[in-house]
Amino acid sequence: MNAIETTGLTCRFRQLEAVHSLDLTVPAGSVYALLGPNGAGKSTTIKMLMNLLRPTGGTARVLGTNSLQLSPAEFARIGYVAETIDLPEWMSVRQFLDYCRPFYKKWDRELEKTLLAKFDLPPARKIKHLSRGMRMKTLLLSVLAYRPDLLVLDEPFSGLDPVVRDDFIRGVLEVSSLGDWTVFVSSHDIEEVERLADWVGLIDGGRLKLAERLDSLQQRFRRIEVTRANGSTPPTQRPAHWLGWEDAGSLTRFIETQYKPDETEKLCAEIFPGANVTAQPLPLREIYLSLARGNTAPQPVAALR
Amino acid sequence: MLPFSIEIRPGLPIAEQVLFAVKKAVVMGQLRTGDKFPSVRVLSQELRINPNTAHKVVAQLVEEGVLVTTPAVGSVVAAPALGDRRARAELLGPELERAIVEAKKLGLTVEDVQAAVAAHWRKLSDNSKP
Repeated sequence: MNAIETTGLTCRFRQLEAVHSLDLTVPAGSVYALLGPNGAGKSTTIKMLMNLLRPTGGTARVLGTNSLQLSPAEFARIGYVAETIDLPEWMSVRQFLDYCRPFYKKWDRELEKTLLAKFDLPPARKIKHLSRGMRMKTLLLSVLAYRPDLLVLDEPFSGLDPVVRDDFIRGVLEVSSLGDWTVFVSSHDIEEVERLADWVGLIDGGRLKLAERLDSLQQRFRRIEVTRANGSTPPTQRPAHWLGWEDAGSLTRFIETQYKPDETEKLCAEIFPGANVTAQPLPLREIYLSLARGNTAPQPVAALR
Repeated sequence: MLPFSIEIRPGLPIAEQVLFAVKKAVVMGQLRTGDKFPSVRVLSQELRINPNTAHKVVAQLVEEGVLVTTPAVGSVVAAPALGDRRARAELLGPELERAIVEAKKLGLTVEDVQAAVAAHWRKLSDNSKP
């Protein structure tokens, strides 16, 4: 079963199409990261999934239910954390948790206590007096305590200091169990995502550019460095799946997006006769950048005179 | 704390990195036969990695005979498969390559490197099983 499934999901604000015909599949049991630059449509997508925003086209199913028909019964299985969520500012952390608890049959008081201590939250402090990191942790606590089947995190790490971020991730992993526990997270923080995610979706300009398992993505991307044979010039013909081509001296560097050891080696031997070729795996950040830039090489630096 | 050293680096699949670190710890004597191996849960929390990945790692280690699972105790480090010395030596490939590249940069010879390796070997032999 899929935890989230959208078909042709679209959201238009007057002139602006924020999300364009999105077909997204988040398998149950996965940690799915939605990456994309600011304004790519990540939050809009999540708001539609949470039925906070009505799609202007297409449909979304969340935990098997049409997003427009999500009822309290489904929301009791979903934990949604975003910075934009309004909290009752006048309540203390303790009062807020007391207030949330009765809504959830599965609320785990032991887990609540554990997390309260782990997150180092002051129970008596009013929410309006909490720091940004504490607010996020309070919110996270209030959804982890009922052990949701689907955790939806909208930019959870942005603006958090490293200690809070670490607490946050520990908290998320605290309730993780194998099987149908699903996390859907939108983020800028590629390093964090690279550790946690098993699926990656890349969204840009409201369109899904890529959706793939992280391990297969890591398998097929390599930075290739070619030290060309003496006196040879860089070839002008190059396969379309080689991105970000750069030449300097006798070195040519590019990103192979369809890496298979034997085939890549054979192709390189044809294009660069007698050259020395190395292939390095790429961090997700570089994969992301190379896809975002496409086939345009980085701007050459003007030669020093 | 985990009973083996690891530093996760971006770029390579996490599961591969953890597998490598565990096997290396076994070869280097950081993990010894009968040592308790952390559960999937602990592994995932300590390394801040996806529990599915942690599960995959443990399953793979059991399949390769590095770990054995016993119902009450969990996973423990198995006795090393002695016939598999070459496979274990291959684990050191990337490490050796790095050392050799550094050695060449420093203008050292094979003999210099071998002597250095032997010296380090003796130093460590006191702390780990032969």
